[in-house]
Amino acid sequence: MVGGLRIFTDRVGDGAGQPVLDVNNGEGLMHVQPGVSIVLGNRASESPGTLYISTKQVVWLSDTDRTKGYAVDFLSVSLHAVSRDPEAYTSPCIYTQIETGSEDNESEGSDSECNGTLDLSKINEMRLVPSDPNLLDTLFEIFCECAELNPEPIEEEEEVHNWIFSADQMEDQTLEGEDSGWDTSLNPTNSIGFSNGDHDLTRTVLELQIDDQRFEDAEEMESDSNSTHQ
Amino acid sequence: MLFFSYFKDLVGREVTVELKNDLAIRGTLHSVDQYLNIKLENTRVVDQDNYPHMLSVRNCFIRGSVVRYVQLPPDGVDIELLHDATRREARGG
Repeated sequence: MVGGLRIFTDRVGDGAGQPVLDVNNGEGLMHVQPGVSIVLGNRASESPGTLYISTKQVVWLSDTDRTKGYAVDFLSVSLHAVSRDPEAYTSPCIYTQIETGSEDNESEGSDSECNGTLDLSKINEMRLVPSDPNLLDTLFEIFCECAELNPEPIEEEEEVHNWIFSADQMEDQTLEGEDSGWDTSLNPTNSIGFSNGDHDLTRTVLELQIDDQRFEDAEEMESDSNSTHQ
Repeated sequence: MLFFSYFKDLVGREVTVELKNDLAIRGTLHSVDQYLNIKLENTRVVDQDNYPHMLSVRNCFIRGSVVRYVQLPPDGVDIELLHDATRREARGG
């Protein structure tokens, strides 16, 4: 899944119908709204088109140009709102901000077209203008529902975090018997900073004995003549 | 669930939500969910220079994952209570 807006041209049937959804992975259609114009960034409004809201993404397909369509995942919609302020935009619409994932926000809108071709990855504002403004509240609510269906994915089972709150807690940790001599074996549990895998970092730190002879000051050589500096 | 509970108690109060893209939006906290998605009412943009198109939108839904800060009303914060609650939460208790 690419962050941000993308071209969407996958239509059912002979190309006249609805967008192809990832049904095998549970994507379903939530709402269809004909008579919706789309405004990308600072560009002119594009119409006529139909809005398809699925459980995973927002798709807008042109009614007249079967090769024209745009989609964005709900994961990338940072915020959405009903905009009725004529100073913000001439027509009442659903206003959305899109997270493009790029750090560079300086070029929003202005560089979205280069040599005439549209760079969708730079678009971070999108408006959806229904022909009937009374539909806006319903569309807003559907956007809310779908956003709630798309929380941030959890990468893996959350590990139990071993937070340390006080020095007392560290003394409670059970230590394996370890001598403080040099350990020349490649034993990962004795390696400082070896935190890959399931090592308990707390224990690793504790095994680093403070009175380890490795931390003794270097012995000064008697023959060094410290007094002569040149 | 700590902040979910905490924000639920702040419903109806004025807050300013600062997003990770630096946009700051002020409004009345309408609701919050377990993912800390935030719905604001009577919103207005704090920094109108960068996002003039937004101006005033009546209702706004902000995805929890894009929130950087939520600025709270000073009298809506009991610091001691929050300290204790966060420590308990972190300990899993």
